[in-house]
Amino acid sequence: MNDLVKLKKILTLRTIIATSAGLTLSSSTFVAAVQVAGFLVGDAAWLAILTGGLLCMTAALCFSELNGMIPSAAGIRLYFNHAFNDRLALTVSLLYMAVIMGVIGAESYILAEILHEAFPLISPLAWILVMFTVVTGMNIVGIRIAGWFQDAITYGLMVTLISLAVIGLAKIDFQLSAPLATGGAVNLLNAVAVGVFLFVGFEWVTPLAEEVTHSRLISRGMLLAIGILSVVYAVFTVAMTATVPRESLVNSPIPQMLFAQTILGDTGTAIMVMLTLAASITTFNAGLIGISRFVYASAREHVLPSIFSKISLRFFTPWVAVLSIFVIGVLISLLTLFSHRYLVLVNMAAAMESVIYVLAGLAVIVLRKKMPDAQRPYRIRGGYIIPAASALIFSLLALAIFTTFPRVFLYLGLGMLLSYWYVTRVVPRLKQLQRQKRASGRRRRRPVAHAEKQGD
Amino acid sequence: MATHEEIRDSLRAFQEGYNKNKKLKIMNRDWNRVVLIEANDVESKHTLILKDGELTVCEGATDNPDIIVTADSETLADLFYGDITPTEPYMNGTLIIKGSEDDIVRLDFISLMIWGE
Repeated sequence: MNDLVKLKKILTLRTIIATSAGLTLSSSTFVAAVQVAGFLVGDAAWLAILTGGLLCMTAALCFSELNGMIPSAAGIRLYFNHAFNDRLALTVSLLYMAVIMGVIGAESYILAEILHEAFPLISPLAWILVMFTVVTGMNIVGIRIAGWFQDAITYGLMVTLISLAVIGLAKIDFQLSAPLATGGAVNLLNAVAVGVFLFVGFEWVTPLAEEVTHSRLISRGMLLAIGILSVVYAVFTVAMTATVPRESLVNSPIPQMLFAQTILGDTGTAIMVMLTLAASITTFNAGLIGISRFVYASAREHVLPSIFSKISLRFFTPWVAVLSIFVIGVLISLLTLFSHRYLVLVNMAAAMESVIYVLAGLAVIVLRKKMPDAQRPYRIRGGYIIPAASALIFSLLALAIFTTFPRVFLYLGLGMLLSYWYVTRVVPRLKQLQRQKRASGRRRRRPVAHAEKQGD
Repeated sequence: MATHEEIRDSLRAFQEGYNKNKKLKIMNRDWNRVVLIEANDVESKHTLILKDGELTVCEGATDNPDIIVTADSETLADLFYGDITPTEPYMNGTLIIKGSEDDIVRLDFISLMIWGE
């Protein structure tokens, strides 16, 4: 590619940090933060969160090397395809998207609970339908949340969270009495494993690789986002657990509301409703865009039925993909609403994310052997130490989640088998059908004689 | 390997397909974009200009495109003749596109509407 040619529109580091952190900051992260604290006996939540952040940085370094090598919006699909094979890449990508749909379900459930708490006359079910309808409508019409709005929400949210935490800690004249009391290594390991969920989605910024001048911006943005979030989460979680009884927090899907109410009363509730709404809508919207694009691209590739590639002639949007996600998302939300098992979805996402990070670490190692001469604008220093450590650590964390929550292992295992069956049995048939349709329905447009002469 | 002329002809076929589609022109009347198409195995650069719904093809590069499409000459020719969909070479890394995600998706929509699946 000609390096002298520059794109008209490019993204800045500020927006990359906001996007990476913004996709991560959502309502369900507070539930995970409280879960982290629940594993530990003292005030050591900060330790688990900072450790989780540090571990995620090793994964971020792996993503930086992969993204520099293969700067594409196709992300993990392409990295794993090059490193392993297309079958594995597709199996994992399909399952990952399904888990992200689950996160959207959990997110909408939690947000609905928050809004129901603020406006008790309106049921959570109505809120879920309203939110899904609004975001789906925006996606079908093609309305995008502007970059500056995402920046303002993310930075505003982080500043407000820190401010609320400081107010809360000041009110009780907080002293760190047991900053290192974890209750044992196993507790700390579990807390760190769930703590990884707090950073889920930081790597979703890699698709922006096509919109920056240099891929280094993406790696810097990811690392800075994780660093800033680690501090914000650590301070906020310590403040939550110091001011509100731990049992109340752990048993609530909306711990941040309890905290805000405790320290600032109704004003705190109003602030938290607004903050959570803004954070959730951006995460929710980004998730829906990401999944609908994945579904559309998969249909274009004949991995999913071609109906999903239908586009609106009025708005230029993949309306079938968007509407299908609306239906599935609402179903997941309803299931969560009636079963109240949002934590299973949160833990599944944490485990799946760990699996993705293991594969990212392995992909760096495999690609260095497979494609040693490929251009790497960013290369992790220290040889194989960081990618190998990242793969090993996240394997242990995934194992910790699986042993603590066997249901998570069962659901993800079943999901993996189903995805593998789909990729090995259904996808070849879909591709074959498409080939037959092509052969019978259209002739080759490129002048055949010329193409054949060129050895085509 | 395709030649520069073949790529040019494929782009003209693409332009012809676009111009035949009145709906597409109406849909793109507010989408003014400059697209640089460059081959990475032969010396070949073209610029697609979409303005007020009209598509023109020019030889050579442009300074500040909105989207940069890079691939080997064979892929580019097949792609713009509609013999392959952009998704497969994009997913295997043969086709590299730089630009905003929305613009990239729009370009794929246009290709889908001209050539079908």
